[in-house]
Amino acid sequence: MNRVLEGNKLRIALMISTVLMMALPSAAQDWIKTGTGLGVERIRIAVPDFKASSQDPRNSDLLRMFNETLWNDLNNAGIFELVSKSFYPLGQVGAPADVKFESWSAPPPNSAMLVFGNLAASGNNVTVQGWLDDVKNTANPQVLAKQYTDVANNQQVRLIAHKFADEIIFRLGGGINGIAETQIYFVHGATGHKEIWGMDYDGANQHPITTLGTISLSPHISPDGSRLAFSSFNGSSWEIRMFSFDLNRLVSFPRFGGTNTSPSWSPDGTKLAFSSSRSGDSEIYIVDQSGGNLHRLTNSRGPDVSPSWNRKLGSELAWVSGRTGLPRIYTMGTDGTNVQEMIEQGYGVSPAWSPNGQFLVFSWMRHYGAGAPGSEDIYIMDVASKQWVQLTHDGGRNDFPSWSPDGRHIVFQSNRSGSLQIWTMLADGSNQKPLTTSGNNSEPDWSWK
Amino acid sequence: MDSGEIFFEHDRWGKNLAWSAALHAGFTLFVVIYAWIAGSGHGTNWGAGGGGSAMGVTLVANIPLPANPAETKSVLATESKGLSQSKPQEKTEEPDAVPIPEKNVKVKPKPPQPTATQRKPQPQPVEQAQNQIPYGEGGQVSNHYSMFSAAGATGGIAVSGGGGDFGSRYAWYVQAMTRKVSENWLKYEVDPRIQSANRVYITFDIDRTGRPSHIQVEQSSNVPSLDTSAVRALQRIDTFGPLPSDYAGNHVSVEYWFDYKR
Repeated sequence: MNRVLEGNKLRIALMISTVLMMALPSAAQDWIKTGTGLGVERIRIAVPDFKASSQDPRNSDLLRMFNETLWNDLNNAGIFELVSKSFYPLGQVGAPADVKFESWSAPPPNSAMLVFGNLAASGNNVTVQGWLDDVKNTANPQVLAKQYTDVANNQQVRLIAHKFADEIIFRLGGGINGIAETQIYFVHGATGHKEIWGMDYDGANQHPITTLGTISLSPHISPDGSRLAFSSFNGSSWEIRMFSFDLNRLVSFPRFGGTNTSPSWSPDGTKLAFSSSRSGDSEIYIVDQSGGNLHRLTNSRGPDVSPSWNRKLGSELAWVSGRTGLPRIYTMGTDGTNVQEMIEQGYGVSPAWSPNGQFLVFSWMRHYGAGAPGSEDIYIMDVASKQWVQLTHDGGRNDFPSWSPDGRHIVFQSNRSGSLQIWTMLADGSNQKPLTTSGNNSEPDWSWK
Repeated sequence: MDSGEIFFEHDRWGKNLAWSAALHAGFTLFVVIYAWIAGSGHGTNWGAGGGGSAMGVTLVANIPLPANPAETKSVLATESKGLSQSKPQEKTEEPDAVPIPEKNVKVKPKPPQPTATQRKPQPQPVEQAQNQIPYGEGGQVSNHYSMFSAAGATGGIAVSGGGGDFGSRYAWYVQAMTRKVSENWLKYEVDPRIQSANRVYITFDIDRTGRPSHIQVEQSSNVPSLDTSAVRALQRIDTFGPLPSDYAGNHVSVEYWFDYKR
């Protein structure tokens, strides 16, 4: 009882100064009191260069790759404010003993978190030790301590940096996995035909996946990352094709006749939705991942294309329909019922559902027709309220948006630089930058994990 | 003779036609000459101001972008207590002001006081942002990571008693949790007619996997849509991330408050 009284007194005192986080002890649990209305602020994090902890001559090269990758990964995460390196105290930090908390937590760095560690190449291997410290909590600073060992080359060191960055983002980002190890698949057209390519999330390591010598479009990776569905021209018609990463080759998938395009995976990976003109008009169909059990969802005049599965619920589809003339975004249940028009004006295409099922991102010419500016921009819409926000402005034609698995980033194609390239941005429209620069690259699709 | 009359009519009609043509030609000539005379004064200064009226251009319709959630803060960047400190006025008691007890006044029985367990925390009005240093307090340059401040409010974790040190020990987790709830709270779900409301308190548990459960409204704001939006904010969250691996408990209980102000 005394404890309760004391807690209440304290609570009132704290509330008066709107200080409202405290922990009351109870049997086997902790009480945390916290609140909102305070604005979402980014975490100030300092990332000094890792230190070499052996005399190996390869260290400097490996360290450069590691430091650059780690910095970029944390910078791209969208939840951190990286403290500029010019504010850092002198001296390298390679181990917990080197950390002087006050010099990091006080101005000028005024950092909340500190990432530090060391790297050592020896023999064929490289070992990286990394720590994440809460420098304002001097009693219990350590949040994370990790050690990685792998083959000593730039590619593996890059991977280690990605893994470590993802661990930090997972801890401080509220349990959402980082995206440093994710892949983006896209259509690369350079030499007259179009092939499906893949790359790391930051645009590095671009490589071809298909070499069919024809035109392949709309790649969509399965949720487990093992298969890639896309649409390909076989000389007479467009068919859905399937590439297996386990077998590293195309696997068979039935031909349905007509034009079959834009496959989209269900979140459990057991079904595909796609559009097919096998009955004359383009309509939305659902088929098992093996190609069996085909059934049709839409039945209306005008084309129905570009289905996108609700990634959280799996019981809803967004798609593009021309039933009222111009293409517009609609949603429906996966049984074809409950059709709702999401936009009521303009020309809207390429819907993609966010990982949390809350938002649709799509490409929209909000004012379409003679005299309209004709710019095509990326928009986000809250599905429940139909409120939308424009993310790209005055930047050519932007299309084919796709969500990152953390829901914080969007990749899309844009011709703003003069040629069609893949761009990325945070989901609030900030931090827009190109991932590809050469050739023609389009229709990006971000892996699910 | 009849035919002669017909011929005569034809003749008069032709005369009218000639008049008509002459008048049209004359009118056309008049227009051309007038245009030449009237237009000769304009010269090349057709683009100059004056004479016409500018077309009013309305820029793009308002796009309902969400407001930037980050509040501007003004935190003093030194440890000093400020140059001018005001001291509280000293209290002067009047020595002779003793209340005279009135006679024949019935003593009313006092209503029973609520016990500590019955007393609920009463919602407090939110303090307005004050970019000034209160008496006796230096501006804090850098808060502890477990603390936050905005709009004149400061929050922090206070630990009372032993055992429950989660808040101080894993401040980074609490911070990540706070941020995540804030991100998932959609203010537009609140009734647009509400300008500001009492604070709503929500309690919930976080199990070891980071999943929130037992989400309850501890104290209502008396605005149903605000209460609902607060509960939904938490229901939207699948996980806060697993509890720190070296934390011994199997779950953490959280009281979270939401302040709403349009």
